[in-house]
Amino acid sequence: MTRNKYILFTFRLVVGGMFIWAGVSKIIDPLGFAQNIANYRVFPEGISFFLALALPWIEVICGVFLILGIFRSASALLLSGFLAVFLVLSIVTILRGIDIDCGCFGSLSGKVDYKLILMDSVLLFFSLNIYFSRKAVRIKF
Amino acid sequence: MALKKLLQQIVLILFLSLIIGLGINFSLIKKYFQGDFQFGFISLEKYDSITFITLGEAEGLFSEGEALFIDSRPKEAFQTGHILGAVNIPFEEYKEEEALDMIFLPPERIVVVYCDGSECNSSLELAKVLHQKGLIDIKIFFGGWIEWTREGLPVSPENDPQ
Repeated sequence: MTRNKYILFTFRLVVGGMFIWAGVSKIIDPLGFAQNIANYRVFPEGISFFLALALPWIEVICGVFLILGIFRSASALLLSGFLAVFLVLSIVTILRGIDIDCGCFGSLSGKVDYKLILMDSVLLFFSLNIYFSRKAVRIKF
Repeated sequence: MALKKLLQQIVLILFLSLIIGLGINFSLIKKYFQGDFQFGFISLEKYDSITFITLGEAEGLFSEGEALFIDSRPKEAFQTGHILGAVNIPFEEYKEEEALDMIFLPPERIVVVYCDGSECNSSLELAKVLHQKGLIDIKIFFGGWIEWTREGLPVSPENDPQ
């Protein structure tokens, strides 16, 4: 875990930026995202629908907060939780042999594959780093 | 104390997101409770050429012989068995652009798109592509291959519907 404030700030920009992008791409097409969640065949239809309405806003708000340094630990913890769930879902989806779009970036999403797992893992590492370094020197706007 | 503060902040973020997300999409929530998305999450106002049909309606169109049945399942599944006379556009095996390029149908042609059954989604995705291609009468048979074979309706190859 790094405590270098510049590296941590870069992590915040990367994780925050990715989630803002991911969130906005889903907000503009909530039904498309609801279908993406339903395609995983994990949640019932109703849960997929309401998740699709709320989840992108959590991503955007946490992303903005993370970059601005507002509720930094809470945002980093929430995003780490998301990334951990995405990671498990992706692995389970590949193991079940379901060939679907990840739904991570709305209509720009790629397939659920090992590249996605790698990206999720890197972002999770960055995000956990931000959370566990909460006592380090902060860069705040 | 720090943990309590952290939890409060998490609850606040979740609450804020929920309020905004549900508030902005209020009209969609209304449609959801009216049963508009029972076959899939698709805006039938945006995709106004798409309708969902039952097994009975699919059978009727099959008998009339005017509609083209399109099977959106993978090639292997299609080769194993499909609705008699259906053509295969294995949606999952193609990127959207390629799927678009291989379709040459007159806009007024009635098409019935199907996949395995209510669990699969490729028929819905393919129907969206057909809508973009300008087709004006696209029907999704959501019961798909499972319902069709369960009723013992005509398939190809004839002797091995599975």
